[in-house]
Amino acid sequence: MISRLEQVTRGVDAMSYWAIAITMLGMSAIVIAQVITRYVFNSSIDSADELSRLFFVWVIFLSIPQGVKYAVHVGIDLLVTKCSDVRQAQLYRLTCALSIFLMLVVLYSGTLAVMDKWVELMPTLNMTAAVYYIPILICAVHSLLHLVLQWCNPALRKVSL
Amino acid sequence: MSLIAIVCFFVLAFLGMPLSFALGLASLIVLVLADFEMVVLAQRMMYAVDNFPLMAIPLFILAGEIMVKAEMMERLVSFSNSLVGRVHGGLAHVTILSGMILAAVSGAAVACASALGSALIPSLQKHYPKPYSSAVIAAAANLGPIIPPSNAMIVYALMAGSSVSVGALFIAGLIPGLILTLGFMAIASYISWRRGYVLSGDPVSFPNVWYHFKRAGLIISMPIVVVGGIVGGVFTATEGAAIAVLYASVIGFGVTRKITVADLPRVLFRSAVTASMVGALIAFAATITFVFTIDMVPLRLSQWIQTLTQDPMVFLVLVMLLLVLVGMVLESNAAYIMLVPIFAPIAVTYGLDPLWFGFLFMFNLVIGMMTPPVGVLFFVMSGVTGERIERIISESWGYVGFQFAVLVLCVLFPSLVTWLPRQMGF
Repeated sequence: MISRLEQVTRGVDAMSYWAIAITMLGMSAIVIAQVITRYVFNSSIDSADELSRLFFVWVIFLSIPQGVKYAVHVGIDLLVTKCSDVRQAQLYRLTCALSIFLMLVVLYSGTLAVMDKWVELMPTLNMTAAVYYIPILICAVHSLLHLVLQWCNPALRKVSL
Repeated sequence: MSLIAIVCFFVLAFLGMPLSFALGLASLIVLVLADFEMVVLAQRMMYAVDNFPLMAIPLFILAGEIMVKAEMMERLVSFSNSLVGRVHGGLAHVTILSGMILAAVSGAAVACASALGSALIPSLQKHYPKPYSSAVIAAAANLGPIIPPSNAMIVYALMAGSSVSVGALFIAGLIPGLILTLGFMAIASYISWRRGYVLSGDPVSFPNVWYHFKRAGLIISMPIVVVGGIVGGVFTATEGAAIAVLYASVIGFGVTRKITVADLPRVLFRSAVTASMVGALIAFAATITFVFTIDMVPLRLSQWIQTLTQDPMVFLVLVMLLLVLVGMVLESNAAYIMLVPIFAPIAVTYGLDPLWFGFLFMFNLVIGMMTPPVGVLFFVMSGVTGERIERIISESWGYVGFQFAVLVLCVLFPSLVTWLPRQMGF
């Protein structure tokens, strides 16, 4: 069961890696293109602002689960480090369990938001406004995978990006 | 409600939960208690991140990553070495000067520490003990958020609303940043002279300086173009960050030729994941700040503080003391996100200059990145060098003390912070 979950997570990680790189590239390219068109050609790309913000939202929410994997999200370990190894592992599992609960609620909340926004269109693009909320769902599911694995085996938490 | 949220947050944070998730869970508890619809959580998260100025943070991080990958640090270090390598503490000076130039592109202390560490630790360790080398790099890296551009200033301006602009904060950091750089170099000279560290660099010669200047000139001019454009009102901070990415890419692919297309996915991925730390904090804190607004926390706190004192300076000193304590235990971005929306409006009601208050607020938390026990830079340097944190801290007190001295100077002489921005029309 766990090895199957690890396999699935590795696959999702690989897809997420490329999705993050592409959306980050897209965001940078659009902002750079907008600057060039504005200052060199004295015009502007109509949907550049909205599209770059959309890419940014995707970049951040797709990257949060990778941050869970690589322990990028900082915490206070002032008291935790004073505890014994056994107690530290227990606390770590407790925080993992609480984070799993949070992500389940985020998934539920995100689903409500997607359903709510599905019929609404974006201001400058002929696309549903729900695309802003879809990365929140992906973020919740992908984070859940890592958190469940880390709950099972705290040693999986990598510390270098 | 707000009190419950704050208590929940601190309990969860001290259990070791990531701060962003602790904020999320605390706000979730309050949403349930206050009988809000659960959809509010996702809505607040998305609205908080859907922000054009915030995009400057991953872009500046990306520019810094490209610089490091393209081995531009080697040229910066060689140029700094040709200038100040021969004096007492020469390599420490090289580190601090390189840190100052890198700070003017990257804007983040942790990124600066990693970049400086990977480029300079091998040379530094040949001449100085490892704990001292780590302390010098931590001090140099802490110039990152002071010298513009600065991700901390972007987050502050975002949280403070319209009371202060990113451009004004950028300029406000120039004079204190210069004082810190010169002070750090003086401390490095004194320590090296007192401990008898050997002189390491080549004697200063104009042809050598000119040769290295020609190699590093394009890199050194990057901050002038980017920061100059932002503070000159030519482009926004986000556009400036995009130009920094373009500029770094042109140098990396066309001049140093040390970065390839194959390196790009990894560079983009690293930048995004690094930026997600701030993104997650902002997303999950959005609901808590929403609750604070509904609870009228800034107004209530303002009324309560005004019953304690009517004196703006007493208020300022109280906030500074609070921030010193907060900076010791809380990651600085979390502190900006939670505290700026509360204290920035109160400072205005006391008649304090928003720019001056904003800079002092940010500077205080930046020093917190180098104060024990949670100074994040110590952890980064410990990770880079493998040295024990206690030993790095023991070598850092001179630099930390000097930062506090400059903070006090900025409190006593506000024009150190505000004069230059006012001269430039902010």
